[in-house]
Amino acid sequence: MRQVALVGFVALASAIASYYLTNEFGWFGAANAAVALVALVVAAASGARQLGRIGGAASHRVVGRGLLIILGSVVMAVGMERAAAYSKLQFDWTFERAFELAPATVKALRELPGEATATLYREAGDPRIRRTRLLLERMAEEGNLRLRERSLAEHPEDAGRFEVGSSNTVVIVLGDRFETVGRPTEGSLYEALYRLQSAEGGQVTVLRGEGEGDLSRTDDGGYAGLSAALATEGYDLRSVVSASMDEVPVTTDVLLVVGARRPLRAQSLAAIRRYLDAGGSLVALLEPGAESGMEALLAEWGIESPEGVVIDPARDSSWASVAGLDPVAYHYWDHPIAQGLNRNRMTFFSGARSFRLRRPRPEDEVSKVVETTRFAWIETDPTALEQRSGHFERDDHPADFQPLVVCGRYPRNGRETRIVAFGDADFASNQNLRSLYNLDLLINAVHWAAENEPMITLRPKNRPTPVQFPIPLTNTLQTLYGVGLLVPELLLIVSGALWLRRRSG
Amino acid sequence: MTELRALVRKEFACLFGSPTAYLTLTMIALVTALIFFDHLRIYNQILFLYSTTTMGGFDTGAIPDHINLWDRVFFPVMETLGLTLIGTIPLITMRVFAEEHARGTDELLISTHLTPSLVVLGKFLVTFLFVALVMIVSFLYPATAIEQGGLGVEHLAAVFVGLTLHGFAIAAIGLACSAYTSSQLIAAVSGWAVAFTLWDFSWANAFVSERTARFLEAIALHPRYGSFAEGIVDLDNIFYFVGIALVAMAIARFAFDLRRVGS
Repeated sequence: MRQVALVGFVALASAIASYYLTNEFGWFGAANAAVALVALVVAAASGARQLGRIGGAASHRVVGRGLLIILGSVVMAVGMERAAAYSKLQFDWTFERAFELAPATVKALRELPGEATATLYREAGDPRIRRTRLLLERMAEEGNLRLRERSLAEHPEDAGRFEVGSSNTVVIVLGDRFETVGRPTEGSLYEALYRLQSAEGGQVTVLRGEGEGDLSRTDDGGYAGLSAALATEGYDLRSVVSASMDEVPVTTDVLLVVGARRPLRAQSLAAIRRYLDAGGSLVALLEPGAESGMEALLAEWGIESPEGVVIDPARDSSWASVAGLDPVAYHYWDHPIAQGLNRNRMTFFSGARSFRLRRPRPEDEVSKVVETTRFAWIETDPTALEQRSGHFERDDHPADFQPLVVCGRYPRNGRETRIVAFGDADFASNQNLRSLYNLDLLINAVHWAAENEPMITLRPKNRPTPVQFPIPLTNTLQTLYGVGLLVPELLLIVSGALWLRRRSG
Repeated sequence: MTELRALVRKEFACLFGSPTAYLTLTMIALVTALIFFDHLRIYNQILFLYSTTTMGGFDTGAIPDHINLWDRVFFPVMETLGLTLIGTIPLITMRVFAEEHARGTDELLISTHLTPSLVVLGKFLVTFLFVALVMIVSFLYPATAIEQGGLGVEHLAAVFVGLTLHGFAIAAIGLACSAYTSSQLIAAVSGWAVAFTLWDFSWANAFVSERTARFLEAIALHPRYGSFAEGIVDLDNIFYFVGIALVAMAIARFAFDLRRVGS
């Protein structure tokens, strides 16, 4: 019986090995599989017959108890595994916590209107599949997502239907709609989920024509990333030439002004004033050194932005030529816009102006959202910045917390005007938008201004690409000699010595 | 407990006094080092190729994201190591029960105060300790080289835990096979064959229903081991390996029962 079982297992293993090597069951694999099937059935039957032949009540008791112990151990093993699976206890020991889902992803999954199917298309030997599979499994645990895997070679029709270009592509289907994600990361899958849900954030009107940030430019200085992020969150973007704007479009939910460099026409500013007086919402990103007229308009709403640039030597990103010019902020006030942000979730500003707040009316609420450390000050002398590089000494400027993002709510005529002001427009540029938590702060500010507070969340972060630099050959050789060859050499010596001792002994 | 301690001491002496164990250790350490070195060499060559084709020196922006130390070196090596262990660990476990059976010393063991369960437990414990040593030796080289790439210690720890549990599972299967034969060769071959069959069932996906495929995946070694390699430590994966050891111990113990009734 044992010999037959052995033949069965070896034949089965050989059949599987042939499949791994050739990726198909050829005649060799099929023949081995058939032999394995016959041998294992014969061995099992023979084993059962042998057990049946055991005579005597005492022997039956011994064998019965042994079989019961095996059965009990199987039940216990399955029970333990299932209980552990049910508990969903999992530890993410990756360096960047790659499989801990962001609150936004969890929210998007839980809010799926029906069951979505995520199909992972793969080719044999693609090492990225395992990571994507684990990520999808984590996502499936959180929401209404069913997983499936398909081989690209076996389903070529899907390539055309879902525009699947290569292995490691995920297609998410919800009802009769689908989204294809070519390089699946948590961020790209989240965006696909959001698009599938057709969330409606409202209309964002963006001013252009007076040196404002260009939402169609894709280079580092452009703002196409902001445009895409707002579209992902369900906002319909309309751009309006400020010079020809007599009224802010009535369908506007949020007016967005990104770093106007030239003065806006009085007529445009008057239109914005009328819009705000009627309970409109404004998100304005200002730039130090630029006077567009927005500064004066904001001052009317209690948000004054003094001339000068913020220097915060305590928390500098160290990318700036002048220490403290590019502050990394982590002091957040308790406000919905800063929900979820804390000392470890910082935001990056690249040359910012500060704000001073006052309440225009007693019923108004103005508050800080983000500020620097208490060591910061406002440098008003631009020549000082040009002349001094490296470490910047504070002369006679009083140091204090400097607000970098502020907001206000103003009840007017039964409606509520909402304004958010950022002291830096580059904060949202393509170069900086995905830095740290900039995107979250800005999009959450738009959500708050549009009175879409339930949409405020933290989004998945881009994971750094794993190590792509070469390991120097010298280091590799040192390790190979030191560990890779020396350890086996020593073990071999011990083994030889033992053999010789046994032989002589 | 005294008998169990004596049994453990004796097993240790047998294991560390035999050249086979050291030869196996040597083989695993050497194979790992060579496989790793080879993958690293090819990885460096690919990067060199990219740096020359971009003509502007080394530019990570031009390199596809799947060419990285993890996907090109670490994971393939861990995959190969997982398979290498299936081939080598049965060489360690083959003698544990089979040798006693061939010499007839298992009869003596049963006649002591030790119950079959304790005998099996003692032998499993010693073998697991030896397998842990094998894992340390085999992991030493990849860990040292990967550490130079600035990867997280926690992730390496997860991989090591997975590798060790995988080794324990193969050892448990090998021990169960060894308990049913007096031939060390048969014990080694059957241990290898059973472990290799359990390694992965993705080959069966084309022939079975989705439900059966999911079940087969749940009982396969490879997917469980794979998630440790990605840095994920799942409690159910840990219990899966513990469960395999438990069932294997019960099966090995049953061999003693069969011998007692003369079957």
